[in-house]
Amino acid sequence: MVGIKKVLLLCAICYILCAALTGCGPTYPKKNVKEAVARICTQEYGVNVKVETYDKTMFIYLPLKGLLDYSFNLTRPASEKINNVIFTAARVTLSTDAKFDFYCVIAHDIKMPELQIVIIKNVEDVRRLFASDISRGEYMKRVLIDLRWSPQAKKEQVVKDIFNKMNLDQKWQDQIISDFFRSEPAAISDIGYWNDRFYIKDITLAEFLAEQIANRIKIEFRESKDLKDIFLLKSAKGLYAARKDRRLFRFEIMAERGAIGAGTTIENSDKIFEKALSMAGHVLHGYHFKDYDAVEVFDQHEGRSIEVTPEELENFRMKKVKLNEIGK
Amino acid sequence: MIPRKWKMYLKMYWVKFAIVAVVILLVALAVIGLNSLESYYRNITLATMPVNLLMVSLNAIIFVYMYMIFMRGGFSKLSQKLRVHGEFVNIKWSDVIGMENVKAEAMEVVQLIMDRARVKKIGGKILRGILMLGPPGCGKTYLAKAIATESGLPFVSMSGSEFVEIFVGVGAARVRALFKKARELAYGYGGCIVFIDELDAIARKRVFSAFGGTEETNSTQNQLLAEMDGLQELKDKSGEPRPEQNIIIIGATNAPEDMLDRALRRPGRFDRIIYIEKPGLEDREKLFAYYLGKVQYDKLLDVGRLARKAVYKSPADIENIIKEAALVATRNGRDAIRLEDISEAMERIDLGLKRQLTMTPREKETTAYHEAGHAVVLYILHPTNDVFKISIIPRKDTLGVTYSQPKEELYSYTKDKLLADIKVSLAGYVAEKMRFGVTSTGVSGDFKDATRIAHSMVWSLGMSGAEFLGDYTAIPESQISEDLKEKLNQETDKIFQLCLKEVEALLIKEKPILEKLVNDLLAKEELEYDEVEAIFMEFGKARTKSAW
Repeated sequence: MVGIKKVLLLCAICYILCAALTGCGPTYPKKNVKEAVARICTQEYGVNVKVETYDKTMFIYLPLKGLLDYSFNLTRPASEKINNVIFTAARVTLSTDAKFDFYCVIAHDIKMPELQIVIIKNVEDVRRLFASDISRGEYMKRVLIDLRWSPQAKKEQVVKDIFNKMNLDQKWQDQIISDFFRSEPAAISDIGYWNDRFYIKDITLAEFLAEQIANRIKIEFRESKDLKDIFLLKSAKGLYAARKDRRLFRFEIMAERGAIGAGTTIENSDKIFEKALSMAGHVLHGYHFKDYDAVEVFDQHEGRSIEVTPEELENFRMKKVKLNEIGK
Repeated sequence: MIPRKWKMYLKMYWVKFAIVAVVILLVALAVIGLNSLESYYRNITLATMPVNLLMVSLNAIIFVYMYMIFMRGGFSKLSQKLRVHGEFVNIKWSDVIGMENVKAEAMEVVQLIMDRARVKKIGGKILRGILMLGPPGCGKTYLAKAIATESGLPFVSMSGSEFVEIFVGVGAARVRALFKKARELAYGYGGCIVFIDELDAIARKRVFSAFGGTEETNSTQNQLLAEMDGLQELKDKSGEPRPEQNIIIIGATNAPEDMLDRALRRPGRFDRIIYIEKPGLEDREKLFAYYLGKVQYDKLLDVGRLARKAVYKSPADIENIIKEAALVATRNGRDAIRLEDISEAMERIDLGLKRQLTMTPREKETTAYHEAGHAVVLYILHPTNDVFKISIIPRKDTLGVTYSQPKEELYSYTKDKLLADIKVSLAGYVAEKMRFGVTSTGVSGDFKDATRIAHSMVWSLGMSGAEFLGDYTAIPESQISEDLKEKLNQETDKIFQLCLKEVEALLIKEKPILEKLVNDLLAKEELEYDEVEAIFMEFGKARTKSAW
């Protein structure tokens, strides 16, 4: 027993020494966090990035040559660089005292800056993945990846087309666009980079979840055999609206009906509601998110909607109640 | 120049030093490694480290446990070789009670150890080993520790049984390890005392058997002999003796001297033999005073009387008596030990605890006659012993007991004493026969004792009436004629018969005393010294010898 005591005492002393002699401060202090990301990307991966922070979100802009190939797939070099930048963002956001909730990588081809890839990740999801608290598959579903035209570019293109028709001088065009058409985005979908300027906003968990649920619904309609035989999903949008007395998740789903296996109008709507509510329940429960009063699903094709309370959604997720027993 | 003690520590504990160095290196590397990590990974590593350490420790414990159980025959094989530095033993001469002669001899040994240079100067031989012989519990270990304390040398102690192993070579390896350690300590401290208790375990006369059954004991002893010889040969480059040779081996054993191998007792090994005997009257008084000083006792207690009562008791016995008396006093609700507590404690130790046996009235009566017979003969005829107590309460494996003690230690016995012993032994038989006409199995032990004494008187002590002088047991039995054997046995029987007649005559003569004792025993079950005395006084039989 004396031997065991000695071994345990030695272990404890070793541990205390390691803990005491090791610096406990963050590797990337808050004030240098942007420089740290840029430095790591340059020194370790040889890519130049621009970094901006907005409250609890970090944005990294990555200009690339040859982002997409002719089949509109990411090229291998571009994919590697994007992964390196994402990994750098993860390293820095996990080892800093700046409390980041999200990081967002915006990558675009310098020859075609209108087309950009926006990747948004929740820092807590990364932490949970590293701690093996969630699976890699679940983690991938939690990442928002969007290949889209830059909203700001589209907006400026429309305005420029009008100005051109008006034969307005180029200098005046730029001045007017700069003064009146360049503002901070209102939604996640408007985030981007255009003409050496970030169009960014602080991402909240609620709107991130709304986007994520909408994304998952899209994947479900694309991959589930039951659904893809009946529906042709045109769009699925998710938004979170917090008014004075009401906080609402709203999902608008536009799905055309196919010929095979289609049921009645109500039955089809119910299938959409069932799938969307199930997905919303799963995601909100996974994040322990309770800061909402209702979840509404709107079937645009039929013009029908369903609205459920958090308790109803939880009971539905737990399969304690059926769809026809909840909502209004 | 590194001090010698530091060198010694480095030699002795190089494994521990290496472990500490490796641990420090690992901690330093771990700290450097952790500092090179980003804070997130560093925190994760630190957070999981306790669990990892716990798991590693658990695995190590399980591994060691399994290894020790299945590969090394259990944890008991992890013999802890005790090393205590002299100053920590802390037993001084003043703590060794009595044994003045032995102490004087041991003191001389200490002087020789401490003043080796002077002995060398006059060309004297330095002591290598001291052999302590004597009965158990007489303070051999205590004395060895006192020698270590007084000489201020480290004290390495092992029991002879720790060398004994069924695997050949293990004992020898342990002897080598013991002496290696002793040499290292001697190097650092200028000398060392090795104490081997129960030396007889490895020092019995070697047997050279063709079957090799005693190989292990032999090889252990051979190694001990070789190590003791080797001590004389260590010299440095200048020819001066090296401090590693300054080792004194003290062996202690209860075994008779002639049981030990002669090779061990030759000069240059165990040069000096110290005989430690049981304490005499004066020493017993000191021992009682010493041990009573550690407890609360009645100040009217006469330690002289206690010492007289504790004839043949060793110091350990006396310590045990006081401990037992303290328990008895506590049980009786007393704050201090009184004479009766000590008496009860001595009886508990000598006679054993009382047993709750349900005896028939006939058995009780038979036992009472048997014990009363012993008591009468003992009281009237025995020249040295006296009756202290008669009891018919079963104890140990007897149904009754007549407790007697000699007045003082006797180191030789006269014919009268031996004859009296035979008579006392036969008295139980005679008393039973007189009363019931038949006897019980209770006489078997008595007969055995009486026969053994009578046989010895004739066969080896020359105490028969005839002219049979000499020790016939020294002659091989096959060389003694049947005629002589018969004559010797007839002489033995004659002594037996003479004693028997004398006892019969005495008990017939003193029948009233016998009956009185029996009646009192049946009534009270036990008779104390004073009660026995009163009965004999009542019948005009004065005690011829003072007991205590």
